[in-house]
Amino acid sequence: MDKPSHLSVVIDLSLTQWTLCAQSTNPPGITLQDFLSQLLAFLNAHIACKDENTLAVFGAFPGQSVMLYSSTGEVTTTTAESTDANTYRPFRTLDSTIMSSIAERLDSYDGMTEEAPIGLVGCLTKALCYINRTITTALSSSQGGEGAAASVDPRILVLSVSPDQSSTYIPIMNSIFSAQKLKVTIDVGKIFGAENVFLQQAAHLTGGAYVQVERADALLQYMMMSFLPAPAIRQLISVPTQDRVDFRAACFCHKRIVEIGFVCSVCLSIFCQPVPVCSTCRTKFPMKTLQRLRDARPLAAPPGNAPPRPPVQKNGTTTPARPG
Amino acid sequence: MAPPAGRRVGDDFVDDSDSDVSITGLDDETSRAKAKGKGKAIDRNKKDKGKAKAKEQPYAWEASYSRSWDTVQEDERGRLEGAVQDWIARGRRRRLLAPAAAIRRTIIRHLVLVLDLSSAMLDRDMRPTRFDLMLQYAREFITEWFDQNPLGQIGVVGMRGGLGERIGEMSGNPQDVLKAISERHKLEPTGEPSLQNAIEMARASMSHLPTHSSREITIIFGSLTTCDPGNIHDTLDECLKDRIRISIVALAAEMKICRDLCAKTGGVFGVALNEGHFKDLLFELIPPPAQRAVARPGAQGANLAADLMIMGFPMRLPDTSPPSLCVCHSQMKSEGFLCPRCLAKVCDVPTDCDICGLMIVSSPHLARSYHHLFPVKPYAAVMSLEETPDPSKRCHGCSVAFRDTPATMLGAAGEGMSPLGRYRCPECQNDFCTECDVFVHDVVHCCPGCGK
Repeated sequence: MDKPSHLSVVIDLSLTQWTLCAQSTNPPGITLQDFLSQLLAFLNAHIACKDENTLAVFGAFPGQSVMLYSSTGEVTTTTAESTDANTYRPFRTLDSTIMSSIAERLDSYDGMTEEAPIGLVGCLTKALCYINRTITTALSSSQGGEGAAASVDPRILVLSVSPDQSSTYIPIMNSIFSAQKLKVTIDVGKIFGAENVFLQQAAHLTGGAYVQVERADALLQYMMMSFLPAPAIRQLISVPTQDRVDFRAACFCHKRIVEIGFVCSVCLSIFCQPVPVCSTCRTKFPMKTLQRLRDARPLAAPPGNAPPRPPVQKNGTTTPARPG
Repeated sequence: MAPPAGRRVGDDFVDDSDSDVSITGLDDETSRAKAKGKGKAIDRNKKDKGKAKAKEQPYAWEASYSRSWDTVQEDERGRLEGAVQDWIARGRRRRLLAPAAAIRRTIIRHLVLVLDLSSAMLDRDMRPTRFDLMLQYAREFITEWFDQNPLGQIGVVGMRGGLGERIGEMSGNPQDVLKAISERHKLEPTGEPSLQNAIEMARASMSHLPTHSSREITIIFGSLTTCDPGNIHDTLDECLKDRIRISIVALAAEMKICRDLCAKTGGVFGVALNEGHFKDLLFELIPPPAQRAVARPGAQGANLAADLMIMGFPMRLPDTSPPSLCVCHSQMKSEGFLCPRCLAKVCDVPTDCDICGLMIVSSPHLARSYHHLFPVKPYAAVMSLEETPDPSKRCHGCSVAFRDTPATMLGAAGEGMSPLGRYRCPECQNDFCTECDVFVHDVVHCCPGCGK
């Protein structure tokens, strides 16, 4: 119960989405500035909970992923710190490191070019690599003594504002499965925008909480109540669980999110419409099956080239397919 | 320094058997490569050993020494670092050589694992006892099986006291199955086993399954007798009719009825010679059987193996949703999965929708096997930094700092090891440390740099 915990935070820093979020009135949005100040309070709270608690912060910038801070000192800034008698020094280092590295990155973007999708996958995999290393070093440093080996209690928190990128379906699923193997819990805070199908699955499969933030101005409270307690304590307090989990997948041919798909029996590739040859393993499918599936298709979806749409009562989370 | 080939386990066994006591005084020609007793048990080595044993040692008691220290060697300064690195390098090689071809799978497998819990399992011819070893291997088997058969389901049945005993219900969740056999004291072996009762029970639990799934029974059988209420050949005929495939791993000796059960249903029969061979036999049953299409006459023949299947990905309802009747058991339940085509509520996936017949699977089940399709390209070892104008100081994955000066290698340069500890992705040109290289290729299957 009293194990120190490691927290890896992945921040979605898509400027377009943050601008939309700040302009949003229903539900009321939040500016990136406010978000960061609330986030820093939360991160300080995590550090303050226990002396051995560790922290790593990753920024998912458009098109790249960067480690912004880690408590083991991988990221350091050379900014001269003004000593402030009223601030606990580790808090100050944390705050200034994160803020300066974010500012440095964001300054380099000009508003001219179209924004690339954020590097969420890179952040997730980097966080996993980092956790993997802390686990293995803890294991090797404590050979003989069992205590320290089991003492890392890692989890990942993803704060997202961007919609799903269908093209990252497979990498995200792979990250989820490796998180499962490492026994890492993935929590998701969705601050702005529609439900994120892949992150929902991530939270569900790793036993984390998926929280759709309804009042973004009270973000700090959401984070303190839902994401601060370590997984061991969550058995005692009830952390908001997911409403419904969407188990839809993205098809391989057009990267659309589908509900009813056509699956190759050899390699399990998913297609959104019957295809004569599997594009992944080059298996030819029997003509008879194709005929049968084509006949059956109008029952499942409106005729034409449109992909199967979700039924009416689910609030549609389909995203425009981006070319992968 | 690679270990001398002759030091493999099972070779010159008698000669080496007492040398671990006096080996420090032994003046070898290759004095650097003194093998000293440093136990470092490594799973893969064990497995190799098991195979070697199976080939070369007919008796279990001859294989009781686990000589794992032979594979670890110290360097000049008496440290194990070099040996460990060497071992990692060999792991890398093995991975690169692994075949990349797509594997044909039976998509949905159903298996009943029948465990012998008769008093014959208390025999100590396998260590610590047949029973403990069986439980241990069964656990590993289940984990591995679910890894390779993401859509499969396993049920567990025990045989003791002349009865078949349901230990675990058919489930697609490895944790459920492992939990069923986790409590050793509930499975304490007693009495006689009954093959017929156990097979009948397994058959009954698979009778309702849809036709596209495979039905299999795997029996771990330690006894030389079976105590049946009726004619077991009738059961065999019933299994044939239901297209159930029976495989048996016997721990004692071959029995005619076991051989018949396997041969007639298209399964595999094997008698374990020792611990390692037992594991090998059991783990051979993990990959989906290759001759399924041939074994099933009628239908469409050759094309049966490859087909396009229509599948639905459901929506899961939370525990807090208003209760409604499920279509499979007609019970009032809150949680469940909604069929995407007809919106009927079913209790568990994977299954066939009872209303519209759509096969409902959850997409994570499918996604689990995708890394076979899109493997990460092997990283190239960086030999020197001369060609890179601006080398990164830290690993792109875990941000650990790279060492500046090349380390002295222990003759492993040819095995794809980088003296700088840097491995570069051919796609995104980012550098990774050894730790991350192994982790990315073995676990994550996704490069942190390029996201592919």
